Amino acid sequence: MRILVVEDEAKVARALQEGLEREEYTVVVARTGEEGFYVVSAEEFDLVILDLMLPGRDGLQVLSTLRKRGLMTPVLILTARDAIEDRVQGLDKGADDYLVKPFAFPELLARIRALLRRGRTQQVARLQLADLEMDLLVRRVRRGGKDVELTPREFELLEYLLRHKEQVVSREMLAREVWRETSRATPLDNVIDVHMARLRRKIDERFDCKLIHTIRGVGYVLQEEQ
Amino acid sequence: MRRLWPRHVRSRMTLWYVLVLGVLLLVYAGVASSYLFYSLREQLDHNLLEDVERVEGLIENTPDGMVALKSVHHGEDELNTQRFVEVWSPNGILLYRSPTLRGRTLGGPPPPNPEGTAEPSPSTVRLADGTRVRMAASIPSVDGRRVFLRVAHSEQGLWQEMEEIVSVLLLVLPPALVLAGLSGFALARKALAPIDVMARKAERISAERLNERLPIENPEDELGHLAQAFNATLARLEAAFDQLRRFTADASHELRTPLTAIRSVGEVALQTPKSATEYRDVIGSMLEETDRLTRLVDSLLTLSRADAGHIHVQRTDISLLGLAQEASSLVEVLAEEKRQRISVEGDPTLIVSGDRLILRQALINLIDNAIKYSQGGAEIFVRVAAGKDTQLIVEVVDQGPGVSQEHQSRIFDRFYRVDSARSREWGGAGLGLAIARWAVEVHGGQIRLQSVEGQGSTFRIALPSTTTPEKNGYKEAST
Repeated sequence: MRILVVEDEAKVARALQEGLEREEYTVVVARTGEEGFYVVSAEEFDLVILDLMLPGRDGLQVLSTLRKRGLMTPVLILTARDAIEDRVQGLDKGADDYLVKPFAFPELLARIRALLRRGRTQQVARLQLADLEMDLLVRRVRRGGKDVELTPREFELLEYLLRHKEQVVSREMLAREVWRETSRATPLDNVIDVHMARLRRKIDERFDCKLIHTIRGVGYVLQEEQ
Repeated sequence: MRRLWPRHVRSRMTLWYVLVLGVLLLVYAGVASSYLFYSLREQLDHNLLEDVERVEGLIENTPDGMVALKSVHHGEDELNTQRFVEVWSPNGILLYRSPTLRGRTLGGPPPPNPEGTAEPSPSTVRLADGTRVRMAASIPSVDGRRVFLRVAHSEQGLWQEMEEIVSVLLLVLPPALVLAGLSGFALARKALAPIDVMARKAERISAERLNERLPIENPEDELGHLAQAFNATLARLEAAFDQLRRFTADASHELRTPLTAIRSVGEVALQTPKSATEYRDVIGSMLEETDRLTRLVDSLLTLSRADAGHIHVQRTDISLLGLAQEASSLVEVLAEEKRQRISVEGDPTLIVSGDRLILRQALINLIDNAIKYSQGGAEIFVRVAAGKDTQLIVEVVDQGPGVSQEHQSRIFDRFYRVDSARSREWGGAGLGLAIARWAVEVHGGQIRLQSVEGQGSTFRIALPSTTTPEKNGYKEAST
């Protein structure tokens, strides 16, 4: 999978490149709007990550020229401006998704996966990791063959973690996807931590192999111990 | 046309003044001269009618079947030059025509059926050469013979007099207007001079010198009012600037705290080599601070958008109790961790028209605060009730330490914290209550704190139950 990153801020560009390459993507970095435009016209990419505030030609211009040329490569916009009008403008010009700076890297990865997967979502009835099983139809969770009683919120939380197993999820992602909180101003971090602690008690406490792990300062990941 | 219109108020005032005065003077002159004209003509008519009677007495038959006027004493000669007489026989034969007429007629043969001896009413007649005369007719009988008599007096004197009067009036008008214009201009300039002074003073008051005020000479007159209004605006501006300055300073200060943490954690970590796990820990701790920074910046952005009026309030009808329950259930786990109980009670039928997310935010912030500041095992009440004057009341009551009087007035201020060390430990930046206040006020409501130190706090939100146009000019998108 080839990803073009158009980002003028050197540190951010390097971090993006390193992080994405670790996830086995091939990354090309363009440092200006012109360069990005030139590269995207010359080569083929599976995804473009586009900073909006660029020297020379700004991101929105790059995007609209791109779409006018008929290139349907998915575009993920990065920007420091998060007013609703800005988002609408970006999406109107043909962006596929939108991420506000500062963003959590796990969230960027999740968005990239979603964009690349687009149109290929499979319906699943069961989710599983090691000896943890979740039956989505009868809403039952078992660990090591024993039923685990979960509240609806805990069930949703675990479902999200299972769907993103072995991927780090940030609190912000949980707030938006599990709590369906659109506003970043609503402080849910403590609430999420408490729920996570309870879930952990129910899932992991009686087992030696822990599945829920905290990545300090980033979020949580559901995986068998490394 | 636009260019001809004077630029200065004083010139415009003068121009209007002169225009109005000119029109008034013209109307006055018109009314006065027509009054004069009518009274002069009445005088003329009066003399004419008298003269008709006199002429009637002077008519005498002559042997040739005509008539003649007896000449009286010569003193009347003067009058005779202004008097025109014509006598006709009833069958249309000219019996006499005064020499002053010089062959002109006063109206030809009489009508075939002249009405009796009715009082002759004078009328204006224009002779063949254009001379205007005032004419009266009568049908006297001269020695038993009925004749048709016309007597006319020239209007020349009347018109001469009118001409003189009108020309005097018109001659006086322009200098009067010029004089009025000049004095009007001088007066306007004198009256407006203080405004010039005020404008010059106001120009010198810049953003850096907002504490200056205009002098008020007489608070009762119009200029005094203007100066007062201007000063009041300045005071509001100054307050707004002060608030902005304080806000910026406070915000920078708040940003500094996590920045300091990031910096020192990083610097200290680099001092000695560490294991991978230790480095992970350091980076994690730095990321936690970054999170705090992000949250702070998000809150600041929310507030600054609110200040700029960029937040659209999307009103819908919301059950207030339902909203309170929703807010409380969202943060309930935090209370459970501290073995606290949140009771939400009240009238489920109360409906408020407001923006669900914004109002919920306010409630979440209040309940979150109550949980934070209450002891373990305490009880928190959220009460919804109808207040007086169609107000809706939401109260969040805690059994926490309360807030002392000195802090109560400022507790809704941005970044204000009663105990900064303790609050920061809980990760607050002192913006929660400021955001709650904004959320309530944007709905036209009020938020108040009632608290006695050591006996808990009651945050009381009063919202108007009906949709009211909100103040502060926040934009509103109706749904």
